[in-house]
Amino acid sequence: MTMTTAAAAMIELEGVAKSYGDVHALRRTDLSIAKGEFVTLLGPSGSGKSTLLNLIAGMITPSAGRIVIDGRDATTLPTNQRGLGMVFQNYALMPHMTVFENIAFPLQVRRLPKAEIRRKVAEALDLIQLGHVADRRPRELSGGQQQRVSLARCIVYNPALILMDEPLGALDKKLREQMQLEIKRLHAELGITMLYVTHDQDEALTMSDRIVLMNGGRIEQQGTPDALYFKPETVFSAEFIGSSNLIPGTVQIAADGTCRLKTALGTFPAPAPAAPMKAGDRAVLLIRPENMAIEVSGATTSVPGRLEDSILLGGVVRHFLRCADGSTLIVQELNQPGRSVAHRGDLIQAGWQPGHARLLPPQPAN
Amino acid sequence: MSDLFGTSRLARGVVSTAAWTCYLFLLLPSLIVIPISFGNPGQIEFPPRQFTLQLYRQFFTDPAWWGSTVQSLVVACVTTLVALILAVPAAYALARSRLPGRAGLRGLFMMPMLVPVIVLGLGLYLQFSSWGLLDTTAGVVLAHIMLTTPYIMVSVMSGLHHSDVALETVASIMGASRVTIFFRVVLPQLKASIAVGALFAFLMSLDEVVVAYFLTGQNSMTLPVKMYSSIRWELTPVLAAVSTLLTVLSLLIALGIIRMQGKTEASA
Ligand SMILES: Nc1ncnc2c1ncn2[C@@H]1O[C@H](COP(=O)(O)OP(=O)(O)OP(=O)(O)O)[C@@H](O)[C@H]1O
Ligand SMILES: [Mg+2]
Repeated sequence: MTMTTAAAAMIELEGVAKSYGDVHALRRTDLSIAKGEFVTLLGPSGSGKSTLLNLIAGMITPSAGRIVIDGRDATTLPTNQRGLGMVFQNYALMPHMTVFENIAFPLQVRRLPKAEIRRKVAEALDLIQLGHVADRRPRELSGGQQQRVSLARCIVYNPALILMDEPLGALDKKLREQMQLEIKRLHAELGITMLYVTHDQDEALTMSDRIVLMNGGRIEQQGTPDALYFKPETVFSAEFIGSSNLIPGTVQIAADGTCRLKTALGTFPAPAPAAPMKAGDRAVLLIRPENMAIEVSGATTSVPGRLEDSILLGGVVRHFLRCADGSTLIVQELNQPGRSVAHRGDLIQAGWQPGHARLLPPQPAN
Repeated sequence: MSDLFGTSRLARGVVSTAAWTCYLFLLLPSLIVIPISFGNPGQIEFPPRQFTLQLYRQFFTDPAWWGSTVQSLVVACVTTLVALILAVPAAYALARSRLPGRAGLRGLFMMPMLVPVIVLGLGLYLQFSSWGLLDTTAGVVLAHIMLTTPYIMVSVMSGLHHSDVALETVASIMGASRVTIFFRVVLPQLKASIAVGALFAFLMSLDEVVVAYFLTGQNSMTLPVKMYSSIRWELTPVLAAVSTLLTVLSLLIALGIIRMQGKTEASA
């Protein structure tokens, strides 16, 4: 996406913050979301995801900052004039209305002619393949069906932006995956900008153009799923997305400028750090389990360890190694026929290519 | 839990017998009028020695009785209607707005529930006499609206407490105005608690005697006042028929309330 002009932004948050007394639900935050983008807010419970979403929806007013939606200053605009759509975890369908009436509601609010309402509702019902339940009440539907109805109710009036707060949180795993694809399909077909909240990293990786990772009321890091996975900038990011081996140590910088990390397990070559560092700084070396391999020759950088356990996860195997200092390393390999089988208690080498490691600043103490 | 009082079978028997005796003791005076109402029109007697509908005929043909019945029904209907129109939006506003003086306002609305009825009656009597509202239908209706509004508000506020705020939020996000939200999202959810409040208000107004006794006269007498004065002046057995009719009506309304309450709980 090459949308760099301000006009192409669907949402601009400028220094937006929200606090409740001493609680900083959201610290000063800048965020820009392009038109047509699918952005996910990912983060642990209490990190401020819903707060950010509710600020954009106008359900709460910011303590500071400016919110611009579609080029219009919406900081103090009432919720019902923002022209947004929102999908909630608990569906929030009107129990006293049929499915048809639920979907027709936003159109009636907009005073569309009856015939047009009927046509649009029918279209929306088709889109979510629920035409046959139009006359039922929400409570007569399954959770998945209810959530599809609430999606239809949202897209039927074609809002420029749809906010979703853990919309699939109440569904079981299989249905979740199905609905993830359905939401992605709707996004692709309709081109609506979507801001999606989840605390499920897999969901975020599957669905997003961009992930905004939140931590303690601020944005920890944002980027494409690939960028977040392969280029985490902090220990928090590395641990929250994917699994990781983290080896803490002290930075050494050689005369030629190359960087090494002295750790309890040995001294390892490290790539240029993501943030500027100098010799003697504390730092953490990150190696993803799938970038490590059980080594026989010890040709690359490696650490010895005793095999504690191996778990078969279908296509992949995870080995857990206990190292000399008592820490555990995880090595993940493809499960292929003829794979060398190590036994529990064997002393083996976990190796990696130095280029696959990442040097991160240490986790701030808190 | 079941054996909190170390209940043996005997003890339980004693307790339930005592309870039933109490109920009967409280109920009997109201029930005794039922057989009397089918008895001799000449005098009040129990047990009655004949079965006639004479007393009912008297009730329905005497314009004094019949008139005050109609008066009571009119007062109760208008009271209920106006009290609803006042109480439902007020309850909604109190429950959802973030007005600074909210607690004070709520207290003000609930006041008539706390002031002794006799005091209220006296106060209204003095006030209405200077306004020229004594012995007018408008006067009783006004007083009854004051009395019943807090009860409807309590019922509606409990309904609002159970209703889902998220529905109002989502309606607002979809572009609905406050007014649309009130009529299309809030009211339908409150149907049952509004009905309970309305029935209750109707019943209260229908057999309210203290305040009405202060405020009404020959031109605006309600049924309970008429009954009360006829006990004092003539003690006619028609009273038994009126009481029976009132009991049946109250019972029906109470059953209605219970059914509605069942519904609110089921939907919550
Ligand atoms: N109305 C409120 N009053 C006080 N504190 C609040 C309020 N709403 C949110 N908070 C606090 O703000 C912080 C962020 O809350 P928020 O709901 O945005 O988290 P979240 O990321 O959505 O979490 P979850 O994944 O659990 O939904 C939390 O610490 C929460 O306790
Ligand atoms: Mg949340």
